Amino acid sequence: MALLEMRKISKRFGGIEALKGVDFVVEAGEVHALVGENGAGKSTLMKILSGALAPDGGEVWLDGRRLRLGSVQEARRQGIAMVYQELNLAPNLSVAENLFLGRFPPFLDPRELWARAQALLEGLGLEIPPEAPVGTLEAGQQALVAVAQALSQKARILVFDEATAALSARETEQLFRLVADLRSRNLGLVWISHRLEEVFRLADRVTVLRDGQRVATLPLANLAPEVLVELMVGKREEARLTLPSPKAEAPLVLQVEGVGLNPLRLSLRPGEILGLAGVVGSGRSAVVEALFGLRGQALVNGEPIRSPLEAIRKGVFLVPADRKTQGLVLELSARANISLPVLRSLTFGGVILPSQEVALARHWFQALRIRPQDPEQPAAAFSGGNQQKLVLAKALATKPHLLLLEEPTRGVDVAARQEIYALLADWAREGVAQIVSSGDTEELLLLCHRILVFRRGQVVAEFHPPYRGEEVVAHVVGAVRA
Amino acid sequence: MLWARFGPSLLSRYGLLWALGFLILALSLLSPYFLSTANLLNVLRQVSINAILALGMTVVILKGGIDLSVGSLLALAGALAAGFALSGFPPPLAMGLGVGIAVALGTLQGLLVAYAGLPPFIVTLAGLTAFRGLTLVYTDGRPITGLPDPFLFLGNGTLLGIPVPVMVMLSFLLLTHLLLQNTALGRYLYAIGGNEEAARLSGVPVARIKVFAYAYSGLAAGLAALVLTGRLNSAQPTAGTGFELDAIAAAVVGGTSLAGGRGTAWGTFLGALIIGVLNNGMNLLNVSSFYQLIAKGAVIVLALLVDRLVRRR
Repeated sequence: MALLEMRKISKRFGGIEALKGVDFVVEAGEVHALVGENGAGKSTLMKILSGALAPDGGEVWLDGRRLRLGSVQEARRQGIAMVYQELNLAPNLSVAENLFLGRFPPFLDPRELWARAQALLEGLGLEIPPEAPVGTLEAGQQALVAVAQALSQKARILVFDEATAALSARETEQLFRLVADLRSRNLGLVWISHRLEEVFRLADRVTVLRDGQRVATLPLANLAPEVLVELMVGKREEARLTLPSPKAEAPLVLQVEGVGLNPLRLSLRPGEILGLAGVVGSGRSAVVEALFGLRGQALVNGEPIRSPLEAIRKGVFLVPADRKTQGLVLELSARANISLPVLRSLTFGGVILPSQEVALARHWFQALRIRPQDPEQPAAAFSGGNQQKLVLAKALATKPHLLLLEEPTRGVDVAARQEIYALLADWAREGVAQIVSSGDTEELLLLCHRILVFRRGQVVAEFHPPYRGEEVVAHVVGAVRA
Repeated sequence: MLWARFGPSLLSRYGLLWALGFLILALSLLSPYFLSTANLLNVLRQVSINAILALGMTVVILKGGIDLSVGSLLALAGALAAGFALSGFPPPLAMGLGVGIAVALGTLQGLLVAYAGLPPFIVTLAGLTAFRGLTLVYTDGRPITGLPDPFLFLGNGTLLGIPVPVMVMLSFLLLTHLLLQNTALGRYLYAIGGNEEAARLSGVPVARIKVFAYAYSGLAAGLAALVLTGRLNSAQPTAGTGFELDAIAAAVVGGTSLAGGRGTAWGTFLGALIIGVLNNGMNLLNVSSFYQLIAKGAVIVLALLVDRLVRRR
């Protein structure tokens, strides 16, 4: 009998079927990779396993016992633990305190606690001082502490979700060694990663998800990387937008020195849409951040950009990755959100001219077909797709000539997604140069005149249409040696 | 259906007015004197200082900060204005200087918050202590008395039958309301308090707006200082002790969110009125001032609970 069996798991979000009866089986003593493109359903499946989400259908069996679903505490009690890219550790507490967090006896001698922690860490072959505050450790050591914490809580299933995204090569190696050790202790290990080289190095079997369905579960031993990529991507329809050609006018010259990124020089013609592909932490976000004056340094046509304010004045605007925490002031009305970047131009002596502000909001509501058609509603009241359109409206109201977009359709339903693509193509026709940074390579294939693939802070490949999708994805996930 | 659509917004929008109305009704039944013009004007006069401070406080809280220094700043501004007047400055100039120094010290605190990145609570707590100290040094711990007439007029005079402090309060209410609802500056305050990151990414000059908020609170402290000095006919070195808490209470009862981004000038004004009416009513009913404190605490918690309930749905 398998250690973990997830049977016929299904989950809907509104109109979207995120999981359609997925089976997932993990044996004791194996590292089981879970792969799939963004939106394939990996994280939904794992959220159900961890109890963070309740499924609409299906059951989960652990060691022959059926689990009660939808409770994080229950899942943890049964021995299911998660190691995320962002760790759930208290940075101000010591390693030892973190290891036994929530399970302190009422009176405990700190030396006793340290000794116990020391024993646990040594048992795992880790050299981490138990008295050090977790926040002072390197990212890699923190990840190891998180694993040790899970083990101290008698975890039997450990899920690593993009656990190496923030780690250096050396730290990654350390984590790999620990994972191999855990395998020999008969734990069930689930490895989620966009980096296929990790999957091939570490995992015994792989389950591929695509569009909320399980496509295959295979041993990795004799699997060719190209086959795996094809399983992930599927046979795609070549449904590229008809993009207008970029204008023949003088190009924008961009010089970028981002954080964790090799210096980069780009030229971009008006009306050109440039795609930046890569996994999280590959350096593509650093390009966008530098160009908007957030982190790093950038020159646009030789002029420095040191702050968002300066970027906006020079006709650069960013549509950030997270509309709720970065894009919108949720309590403010849709109108006030749209006008925020250009508010000063709608004032006379500092006083807002209501008629102009309302007209601006109305204009963009119509142009982008934002629903419900009431700009006075707070931004919080709109659906995901319409909130994203609000952020786009904000961006367009500044009349940018260089638009930066991070994950422009994340969490947006299919219909709104198509609308957004069509809009981006429209602005390209108007001569707005665009840089789209996205983890969804498929959308870049659809949308861009040119795609740069980033890995570990460098551009490793450049593609021009007609694209061969598998080839681009293979470069993104590292199934091809760059 | 209709209730589901409009009920909550009616409650949250006019809930404060209803609460005030209920309070007034109850008090007028309990005490025949309560509804007299003289008493109502008296309530307004008593409320004026707290309302002015609370309006300044609202501007700071809206952007996601807090200003604990206003009580001490009030004492300092009052002492300076009084001192300048007695040392020969023309009274209007002396008053202007007092208010100006309050604005300058507010600005200083704003600079520490916005550019040095210090927590507002700590910066203004330091202000609370230091400004009180400055006041005690300047006054040598003794009241400044014998002020010229313009001070008395500000504190006790009337214009068109309305007490001057009430006039000052209403003007400041109007000014704050216009600032928050009609100017880009006001909108930026809401944006920063609601989501500072989104505001920054929209090109809002976040640091400068923050400095402005503390300067405005300083202005409120300066104005309140003139009114209080006039009413007491002297500048007291211990004036304004604890006033910052009353101002925060008025803002919070008036629907201002301590997390920032939510609140209005009118709400805060009503909050100050509710607290003021309650105090006045209890005085009329001879409730001991000890119990009054308990009642005030209860009202603050109650207001927040009701607000939370209305918003949850």
